[in-house]
Amino acid sequence: MGLHFHRFRSRLVVVFLGLFALIQATGYVAVSAFVRASARHTVDEELRLASTLFARQLEVRTQQLVAATRLLSGDFALKTAVATSDHATTASVLENHRRRVDADVLMLAALDGHIVADTQGPARRGAEFPAPRLLAEAEAGRDASDVVAIGRHLYQLAVVPVLAPEPIAWLAAGFAIDDRTAADLRRLSGLQVSFVTGHDAGVVVHASTLGAADRATLARGVAGARASGVLDLDGGEHLVRVEPVGRDAVVVLQRPLAEALAPYDRMLLILLTVAAAGVVLALLGAVLVARRVSRPVLTLARGARRVAAGDFDVAVSVSQRDELGELAATFNDMVGGLRERERVRDELERTAKLKRFFSPQLADALSAGDESLLASHRRHITVVFCDLRGFTAFAEAADPEDVMRLLHAYHATIGPLVFAQEGTLERFTGDGLMVFFNDPVPCPDPAARAVRMAVAMRDAVAGLLEEWRRRGHALGFGTGIAMGDATIGRIGFEGRFDYAAIGTVTNLSARLCQEARDGQILVSEPVYAEVEALVEAKPVGALPLRGFARPVTVFDVLGLRTEPAAPAAGEVTP
Amino acid sequence: MRRALVALALAAALALLVPNPAVTEPGGVEAIVKDERGKPVADAVVSLTAAGAPAPLPRAAAVMDQQNKEFVPFVLPVAVGTPVTFPNRDNIRHHVYSFSPAKRFELPLYIGTPAAPVVFDKPGSAVLGCNIHDWMVGHVYVLATPYFAKTSPEGRARIAEIAPGAYEARVWHPRLKTETERTTTPVTVAAGEPAEVAFAVALKPDRRPIRRPAYEGAQGN
Repeated sequence: MGLHFHRFRSRLVVVFLGLFALIQATGYVAVSAFVRASARHTVDEELRLASTLFARQLEVRTQQLVAATRLLSGDFALKTAVATSDHATTASVLENHRRRVDADVLMLAALDGHIVADTQGPARRGAEFPAPRLLAEAEAGRDASDVVAIGRHLYQLAVVPVLAPEPIAWLAAGFAIDDRTAADLRRLSGLQVSFVTGHDAGVVVHASTLGAADRATLARGVAGARASGVLDLDGGEHLVRVEPVGRDAVVVLQRPLAEALAPYDRMLLILLTVAAAGVVLALLGAVLVARRVSRPVLTLARGARRVAAGDFDVAVSVSQRDELGELAATFNDMVGGLRERERVRDELERTAKLKRFFSPQLADALSAGDESLLASHRRHITVVFCDLRGFTAFAEAADPEDVMRLLHAYHATIGPLVFAQEGTLERFTGDGLMVFFNDPVPCPDPAARAVRMAVAMRDAVAGLLEEWRRRGHALGFGTGIAMGDATIGRIGFEGRFDYAAIGTVTNLSARLCQEARDGQILVSEPVYAEVEALVEAKPVGALPLRGFARPVTVFDVLGLRTEPAAPAAGEVTP
Repeated sequence: MRRALVALALAAALALLVPNPAVTEPGGVEAIVKDERGKPVADAVVSLTAAGAPAPLPRAAAVMDQQNKEFVPFVLPVAVGTPVTFPNRDNIRHHVYSFSPAKRFELPLYIGTPAAPVVFDKPGSAVLGCNIHDWMVGHVYVLATPYFAKTSPEGRARIAEIAPGAYEARVWHPRLKTETERTTTPVTVAAGEPAEVAFAVALKPDRRPIRRPAYEGAQGN
């Protein structure tokens, strides 16, 4: 049970914490994605700007190159050397002029497109000019320049005609685009710079700021798609922008994403710390809330356990004013109800027990806790004594079983009659019985009740005795009724108490009972005075009774008047 | 104006130097040169060669002016052996040169008329340039025949005072796409009315690499 509630609490904590962590994680992921996208965008923009810058720079360089080449082509000595087919001199002039403009290569091509002289060496003489398209463009009178691969090297090449004054040859000047160029651009832009030509499998990385391994990756990546994208190079993901710098050549700009993300990393770290702190706080909060919720539940559970064990003396104290507080209050009410029911049941049980030994009135009073009834007091009561005539002889002669059977039947017959008239059964004495009225519960007509009870008993016992008489047992039933004050209260000692009425009235009724013959109900004069209107009676006369100084006037009640009419005066004389 | 003078001089030279057996009744050729689109072609040189023995060539001097930083005329047809003078009419120097196989020469920076004329002693075309004015281009077309004339802006050229007979007519132009030899057209010259020869030629686009700057044109006369 306890484990279950612990699980409940843990579950509460887990759910609460899980939700919080989920929210935090969602937030973090969203921010992270946003930051990443933003960084990517920034890098993209940087790359775009850089590529625009490069393109412009290259354009300017091209213009300078074209201008320089045109200047060189105008040199008369060069023209002379070319026109006179003095190849050695031409080559020498080219080398000289290359140094003048600090170009990396100078080539002279004949009008038919074959190289006449080349500063890269005399071996190239007679070879095909590497960029015939440029010659065509120059012939068409346009500025002819391009980024051209010559072998493994990449050059920015410009071609102008050598005019004398009509074209007699083509002069080409080139600046090398090499790793140094790329490094210069990297210093300028902070980007990784590579120059690449070719398509598909023929991709060549001519110049780059990258290492050898990354060059290979780059070549593969560029071969895949000639567009911007992401390449996984040494140092993580790189955003890539590919920008054409010539007909066949492209400049590939890369920037590591991590570099762009670096400023955001700190922010994300802070975010993460805040999220972690939030989770810890949420954990504490969740535990507190869970405890707050589960503590009253546990208290209730403890209370319920005690109730289950039969202890109704339980009141859970939950101070909360929420549903749990309401639940606790309801629980307390329920337990209170149970307690009350238990109390009533106990009382009923106790009363039932008492009733077996006391009159219902006394039993009720006692079970109600009214001990004052037992206190000694005087009361005007009507006392009925009755017993069986010839019972002593019968008890000696008959089987004990028969004796008990008779007593049982006898008591079973008269007991209900006592209760019917709400008499207080003071005691059994074997065949004898003492009942009094008007105590402990007062009643308006104690004498009438006593007489009615006595008549009913006599009639009932008569039937019972008839059977026994037929079996040869001489048994009779006599009753005495007296009225007067008596001292009533608890008598006896600790462990055995009786509720007893003591006084002349008790003695008198006992004597009258002794005097009564079978079937007689002898009542004292005061009793008769009370019930005169109710009963048919005949005077018996004044009887001398032991213990009484003077004879007592006694009447024998024959029966109840069938019509309880107003008593006729003078019919019964006292 | 100048061209007219030159033409006159040529005519005079022809008249003086060429002994013509059929002088009594000379004929002529009226040539018209058009390009592929039918537009008249100026500055084309139309020439005739007789089927027989080579005709004697005129020896009269010719002139290629440098005027207002241009060669005038743009095209100067001359017979083989013609001495050509290069008078500089501008108030700045010029540096005339030719690297053409027909005549390779150089007149380094000079003012006025160089003392010695340049004798063009081989047939063919010589492209003239000026080392200090890239846009200056001139052509001296050297012919091995005395019968030639240059087309007018209307594309017309008249070769007069020639003996009747069978000739081969050819045309040359600085931007001619084909060899001149391939323009050879037979023509028969009769006495009286000149024979008509029409050429339709394909020309390269006119692409002078460096044009004369506008301010240069404003100078001189």
